[in-house]
Amino acid sequence: MMLDRRAAAAMLLEAARLLEENADRLSEIDSRFGDGDHGITMNKIARLIRERVPAWGDRSIHTFLDDLGMAVMEVKGGSAGPLYGTLISGLGAALGEEENELEEDGVRRMFAGMLEELGDLTTAGVGDKTMMDALIPAAEAAQKTEGGIAVILEEAAAAAEAGARASEGFVAKFGRARSYKEQTIGTPDAGAVSASLFIRGMAKGFGSLQDKEK
Amino acid sequence: MKMKKFINNPENLTSEALDGLAMAHKDIVYRGEDNMIINRALDGADRVTIVTQGGSGHEPAISGFVGEGMVDISVVGDVFAAPGPQACVDAIKLADKGKGVLYIVLNHAGDMMTGNLTMKQCKKQGLHVIKVVTQEDVSNAPRENADDRRGLVGCIPAYKIAGAAAAEGRSLEEVAAVTQRFADHMATLAVAVRGATHPSTGAALADLGEDDMEIGMGQHGEGGGGRQPMKSADETAEIMVNALVKDIGLVPGEKVMLIINGSGATTLMEQLIIYRRCEELLKEQNIEIVANYVGELLTVQEQAGFQMFMARMDDELLRLWNAPCHTPYLTKK
Repeated sequence: MMLDRRAAAAMLLEAARLLEENADRLSEIDSRFGDGDHGITMNKIARLIRERVPAWGDRSIHTFLDDLGMAVMEVKGGSAGPLYGTLISGLGAALGEEENELEEDGVRRMFAGMLEELGDLTTAGVGDKTMMDALIPAAEAAQKTEGGIAVILEEAAAAAEAGARASEGFVAKFGRARSYKEQTIGTPDAGAVSASLFIRGMAKGFGSLQDKEK
Repeated sequence: MKMKKFINNPENLTSEALDGLAMAHKDIVYRGEDNMIINRALDGADRVTIVTQGGSGHEPAISGFVGEGMVDISVVGDVFAAPGPQACVDAIKLADKGKGVLYIVLNHAGDMMTGNLTMKQCKKQGLHVIKVVTQEDVSNAPRENADDRRGLVGCIPAYKIAGAAAAEGRSLEEVAAVTQRFADHMATLAVAVRGATHPSTGAALADLGEDDMEIGMGQHGEGGGGRQPMKSADETAEIMVNALVKDIGLVPGEKVMLIINGSGATTLMEQLIIYRRCEELLKEQNIEIVANYVGELLTVQEQAGFQMFMARMDDELLRLWNAPCHTPYLTKK
């Protein structure tokens, strides 16, 4: 199955659903060394996704993701708005203006574009205890996986989850948690966990649609 | 914990404060969409215009300095939080009078993110904008490592320099260059003796105990080393003056601007006592204070402490600092 607009919509909606389902857990993790509001912010972002996706209209994947990303950037609640907005618009950044039926290569470009756009915004790498702990491995997994879009997305989601778990062992280098230094070891990064949920949602949304079509 | 603050619904703090500012100073500013405060004189302006952004909770900064000769539009986020880039792009478009816009951003993670995203959009849309970042906190990184230096009270005199240069009818490139030159030669050190409470959550922003003070406190009470037993005004002033003189690399015979900026709960009496000692200390080193301000420009709720700001001055910067301005919280004739 190709990744078309219908599939992209299903992926975004499932990502939103997973974020809402886990919002309390995200706030709980964030409360240990942050403001404790990450779940609230991700809930706002998820709500925005659920509002905007049904109103997609005839926009291309690139344009819709760009518009949705700009809207998400305005969500109040610290840096999560700008970061998730950039993640979402980044997913479409390396796609053609009217490219609406993606093959494996297009999916890899989605991940590469996301990483490139986020790279303009943050210097964080793997090990800095940020959402990049999940997103960088996810993008890398997507680049080296073959065997169909569902497999690529599944590998990316698994890599993101492994990255989020690994963030437990890191010392925070960014954000408010940074001042707690070594105390942050043992707690995962809330942003890495939410990012892994987002990628998992993309994989699940695509997988479910593909299963239905069979 | 119960807060003894005169607030209503915590969700409306920023909005209500901006409404109050616009009502109290309706001859100078008005409220725009998306938490903007706009200079009434912007409409007829035929010059470079100045836009800035930042969180609320630091009153009178940043919106108290919107008006003639300083900022044209401030874009305000939530308490201690940056606004989003779309609001900033909208503000820049609204401010642009065909001569370009100077966009001043304080170096804080969220503000920088919004600043970068805003510049990206402006470039895409072909807007003529130059961004200047203020980053002068000497406590968290050496001068060579400016990217790690937070922006503190130095944004306020930077607004003044930029606004005055714009009022002289100079080009955007010239306004940006003189603002950058001023910013490159400024330094701030903050000291706190008691932390603030976050006005919407009630959370304590720092705990300094009964007997300690901390030199090198960021804008919101982020730690920065330098925790020590409480000292007298003169001793504290001496530590801070020496650190700033050294950081800027001031030598005898030079001229400076000195600002003592109260953080919210330190009295003007204390600030004046500190200022007095600063002037004596600088005199001993043959450094002349040619411009100063003592009072609250950028606060952190009821944090007790102050920021000491110093900047190297020359004739041009002094002329721009002394030029007329009319804003809610700074007016010069």
